[in-house]
Amino acid sequence: MSEKSLHLRLGIIVSLFALFLVFYAIPSFVFAPSNVRNIILSPVFWPYVLAGLTGTIGLGLVFNALTSAPDTPFDDEESVHPEGSAPWMRLAALAVIMVLVMFGLPRLGMVWTAMLAFAACAFLFRTRHPIVAVICAVVVPLLLYAFFAHVAGVAIPQGNFVRLP
Amino acid sequence: MSLLDSLAAGFALVGNFEAFFMLFCGLVIGVVAGAIPGLSATMAVALTLPFTFAMTPINAILLLLGVYKGGIFGGSIPAILIKTPGTPASSATILDGHPMAERGEAGRALGMALYASCTADAVSNLALILFAGWLASFALNFGPPEFFALILFSLTIIAGVSGESLLRGALSALAGLLLATVGLDLVYGTNRFTFGDPNMMGGLNFIAVLIGLFAIPEIIAMAWNPVAHLGRTRALGKSRCTFADYARSFKSIIRGSMIGVFLGSIPGIGAAPAAFLSYSEARRTSKNKANFGKGEIEGVAASEAGNNGVAGATLIPLLALGVPGDVITAIIIGAFMVHGLQPGPMMFILNVDIIYGLFIGLIVSSVFLLVVGSVAIRGFRFVADVPKRILMPGVLILCIYGVFAVNNNIFDVGVMFVMGWLGYIMMRNRIPAAPFLIAFILGPLLEDNFRQSMLMSGSDPSILFRGPITWFFWFLTCLTVFAITRSTLRKKVPLS
Repeated sequence: MSEKSLHLRLGIIVSLFALFLVFYAIPSFVFAPSNVRNIILSPVFWPYVLAGLTGTIGLGLVFNALTSAPDTPFDDEESVHPEGSAPWMRLAALAVIMVLVMFGLPRLGMVWTAMLAFAACAFLFRTRHPIVAVICAVVVPLLLYAFFAHVAGVAIPQGNFVRLP
Repeated sequence: MSLLDSLAAGFALVGNFEAFFMLFCGLVIGVVAGAIPGLSATMAVALTLPFTFAMTPINAILLLLGVYKGGIFGGSIPAILIKTPGTPASSATILDGHPMAERGEAGRALGMALYASCTADAVSNLALILFAGWLASFALNFGPPEFFALILFSLTIIAGVSGESLLRGALSALAGLLLATVGLDLVYGTNRFTFGDPNMMGGLNFIAVLIGLFAIPEIIAMAWNPVAHLGRTRALGKSRCTFADYARSFKSIIRGSMIGVFLGSIPGIGAAPAAFLSYSEARRTSKNKANFGKGEIEGVAASEAGNNGVAGATLIPLLALGVPGDVITAIIIGAFMVHGLQPGPMMFILNVDIIYGLFIGLIVSSVFLLVVGSVAIRGFRFVADVPKRILMPGVLILCIYGVFAVNNNIFDVGVMFVMGWLGYIMMRNRIPAAPFLIAFILGPLLEDNFRQSMLMSGSDPSILFRGPITWFFWFLTCLTVFAITRSTLRKKVPLS
């Protein structure tokens, strides 16, 4: 991707986002007391200013893309974008792992969830040391539990099944 | 309180084994983390932060400062040995450091990097001690309009110089400011973008946002391309840096340190531009100009002096004005807040013992860095052998524990994940994350000072231009916008 196409794409998205903020998000989700007489002191003033500036930057990006000469793609494009669908699959898998972590934390507890997440990520990243990965997946969460629960005094979630001392 | 009283109070605070041990540990963690490509100094400081919650404030800050300083030096090790900068600040070190490693002189290059780093670190600490107090006493005259103009200037320069494009930097800063509006309104206490969720009423957790922005994207990037980090490590070789090498490069080291101090004390510029400017100045003035880029030891010295000169100086705006100079000091400001301290001019009155304790710790850190760095150079092969595809899942787990520990709240872990994906999208679209984080921290301050100014003046905006201090910052803001826009336009129309 070149800077020109990046700016065009970003500019359009940002401009639409600014419109979304001005016409929907701020009126719906920012509440101002009815007795505020001066708009400058109102809770909605600052979000509107920021939304306006965001829109201006969006238009600036579009203008920049439309007025600049065609340019070459960024230098490191090849290394950033390996070919095939496998990278997308791994990204999707990592997203699923994160969602499962959120579900697992209150139910399984932090230590067991962390162990599973560690092992899943190591295999997702195609580790060349599977045995070390499994050992680390058990040891690292236990060590962190020991520090945070017994040294820092943090109430680490224990879950509904196996509780640690 | 006299200077001697302040020094005595500082000594009383840090004059114990624990404080110096924390500083030493911080340096070790920083050097190791900086030496692992992909684990930047920023990520190391962010990941260390949750471990400091149970510590005393001075020990916690010393540990984080140790990680910061160690991380900046540690970044030069992979830059020289595997041509991959451990931190962005070490990018300039590659130019001459790696060609030296290819010639079998890696040990010499790393030795020079260490000596230049320690010298620049000492110069930078001295500048901090000399200027921070003076700037803080000046800043006691600041009211809300002055702080508004100062923060606006800081955000402008951070947005302008953090990335490759002013527009993308400004977009990042605006996104940070918008995210900072989430929570209860500062004056009226009404909901802003909380979506009725009580977890969002206090605003998004700062540590969740910063770890999400700076650690999780690296993990996601690893999922995208698990073999991107693989590189060939060069041997140290038999040649070592001699005193003659150091003496020959001394002028460049001192010049680089000064450049680092100057650029570091301006909020937002950071270590990488300082390293490149120091390098280009050394090349311009050197007798061995032709050797630069081919393995000139003076080039290594200049770039390392430039990036380490920044480390102490970025603490000048942090301690004196409460404005973080770069992302790492933005994290450190979070550590101050976690421990109930508010950096800024009042800290020089209310917590002068902590200020002087930090100064003493920083002076000692230069000596510790020399010791830790010498060992790290020899031990790098062990660090380089750490399998990154096991390290990154470990980082993920550390992030989960660390972010949860801040408020004992699983919601914060979710915020971290969401910010991680946002950070990754920003990374892929070349939007710098630094302006986002700094704007997120400074956003409430900016709005608060603006609204206080309006309350003071009865909504008359002319109060924002009420005196020479505000004019000075407005002038600097306009100058920054003009300079960055001009340089962008020049880049667009190359001279034939």
